[in-house]
Amino acid sequence: MHKIFRIDMTDLKATVETVPEAWAGLGGRALTSTIVAAEVPPTCHPLGPNNKLVFAPGLLSGTAASNAGRFSCGAKSPLTGGIKECSAGGSAGRIIARLGIKAIILEGQPKGEGWYGLIVRKDGVEIVPETETLGKGNFAVVEDLTARLGEDFGVITLGPAGEHLMAVSDISVKDPDGKLRSFGRGGLGAVMGSKRVKFIAIDPEGVANLAIADPAAFKVANKAFTKTLNDHPVSGQGLKKYGTAVLVNIINEAGGLPTKNFTSGQCDHHDQISGEQMYDNIVARGGEPTHGCSVGCQIQCSQVYNDKDGKFLTSGFEYETIWALGADGLIKDLDIIAEIDNVMDDIGVDSIEVPVMFAVAMEAGLLPWGDGKRMLEMLREDIAKGTSLGRLLGGGTAAVGRAFGLTRIPVVKNQAIPAYDPRAIKGIGVTYATTTMGADHTAGYAIATNILNVGGKVDPLSNDGQVDLSRNLQIATAAVDSTGLCLFIAFPALDIPECLASVVGMLNARYGLSLTGDDVVALGKQVLKTEHAFNLAAGLGDESDRLPEFFELEPIAPHQVKWDMDPKELATFWSF
Amino acid sequence: MSGQGTIDVVGFMDLASLFRARGWASPHRMDLDAEIDGDELLRRLDVPDAAVECLFVNHHAIMVAAARIRPGDRVAVVPPGVPGPHRFSLGIWKRPDAAGK
Repeated sequence: MHKIFRIDMTDLKATVETVPEAWAGLGGRALTSTIVAAEVPPTCHPLGPNNKLVFAPGLLSGTAASNAGRFSCGAKSPLTGGIKECSAGGSAGRIIARLGIKAIILEGQPKGEGWYGLIVRKDGVEIVPETETLGKGNFAVVEDLTARLGEDFGVITLGPAGEHLMAVSDISVKDPDGKLRSFGRGGLGAVMGSKRVKFIAIDPEGVANLAIADPAAFKVANKAFTKTLNDHPVSGQGLKKYGTAVLVNIINEAGGLPTKNFTSGQCDHHDQISGEQMYDNIVARGGEPTHGCSVGCQIQCSQVYNDKDGKFLTSGFEYETIWALGADGLIKDLDIIAEIDNVMDDIGVDSIEVPVMFAVAMEAGLLPWGDGKRMLEMLREDIAKGTSLGRLLGGGTAAVGRAFGLTRIPVVKNQAIPAYDPRAIKGIGVTYATTTMGADHTAGYAIATNILNVGGKVDPLSNDGQVDLSRNLQIATAAVDSTGLCLFIAFPALDIPECLASVVGMLNARYGLSLTGDDVVALGKQVLKTEHAFNLAAGLGDESDRLPEFFELEPIAPHQVKWDMDPKELATFWSF
Repeated sequence: MSGQGTIDVVGFMDLASLFRARGWASPHRMDLDAEIDGDELLRRLDVPDAAVECLFVNHHAIMVAAARIRPGDRVAVVPPGVPGPHRFSLGIWKRPDAAGK
């Protein structure tokens, strides 16, 4: 990958640039965060002309490596006010990589009221006025572009929420089945909307196999890597069969399933919304329990979930979304949860931020607890149409909580806290507090061999060792996010030494390098420090690395524990 | 809640299907008059060791061999294959060479 496409929406001009030497060894999150840090003034308004939206395939994207179909999107976040990187599957990242494009940078802002579509081709970008898909949902945009341009085009699209510049809006990516994958968190859809770009279509004409410095070594390393994915019980069996939703019962059992706006760690109807129940429904209704989000996925943790009549309801039905709607918002009907998931995909909103926001709205009395049908109405009639109420809801969890004078507002840096209660699982609390992304469970996901030195076993209810653990997890995650590999490689990486070794082997074979595991860890550290420096300059200092006060005041059942991490200990996170 | 002389047992993932196929309710109430260890529990449940990665006893994750189950306890039986960062953070995973169980 040797070129960068820069699209200036102020002058409506696109240019092709060579890759600066300093960026040549970067990909995915490392590249988006480096570009944002280098080119975006940290104090700029996220929806103004000085913010930039950057897409970048990972270092292994576009190769034959298993599970390397993901790519990154970065900008200054309208939700958190800090730097943001999201990862998504789908088809576009692989096509971009195989066109030799290292990054796409979207900058500036058009002067008029018109909207645009971008057609990315091998040698440049065409900027075209767009009217036909305005106001349409993501599924309709994908359908329209497929008919207009062809089935093989990659599509990156914006739903109505992004057009309304809502802080809960996301960016969607067409997957191999024509369904949607998302750059979900932090309001990146609003940044794309502020550039008045409704879609980016990627023409696959001219894709080519990427140059591999040592093809034989790459093949050997990829074979070993793939074997670890298939051999491991998590990536090879558990995720394939039950998806991530299997965590509902597990986290409930651990007392860490935030319920009714984080007032309990257990949910009475957990069995009804569990991964086991989801699997039974999928099989009984002719859905697909096993499904991949991108080409080359071995883990296949996604699924197709049908209704009782066998009609498609949703795909990519994730634990965090099911938790947020089912436990945090007390919706008991898994089919309604699936319908809401699909509507959120269609209008283009973060399926964690929005349900957590709705639970706060339920506490505020804006709708009854567990009322999924009313939630569907508000999504379709208010958020999608941008009514005054919709714009309040579209501001996210923190905005709604403040508007109604609540004190129990589960956010860090204004971003909703996901599906693991930090009082019962202390380690994730450190990650929520300190990650540069705002509360984000995926920020501390990857597990590198170096964490094997962090105790033999972690007590989730104790603070001991949690800061060190979170730091190491976040460093490893930042490195994996830069490769284009799925974070779920973390599971074999924990147990099978050949897994990470083969990832390093693939990087070396791809680029003709002699990296070691230490180099990969160094990359992760560099990414975190770059992002932290941006956030500090944006005004997000140590005082923003905190959980909301209610976690210190309110114990949760069944363990009756509070958040009691010493802020001084938390502040040691950045001592590396 | 289980009481004196009994424990409550739940199974997850494939073990949920297995327990259901046996006609067991969830939770399954099982007689227990005195403390037993995790290995003995699996024997009494007729569940092979390889089908279990850890137990939750009263909502605390613990390795099978280290578990002590007493009358009145709630036990969840967790197969291998649990995803999520908290496989580590919950204590389901432990370093293979770590001392103790």
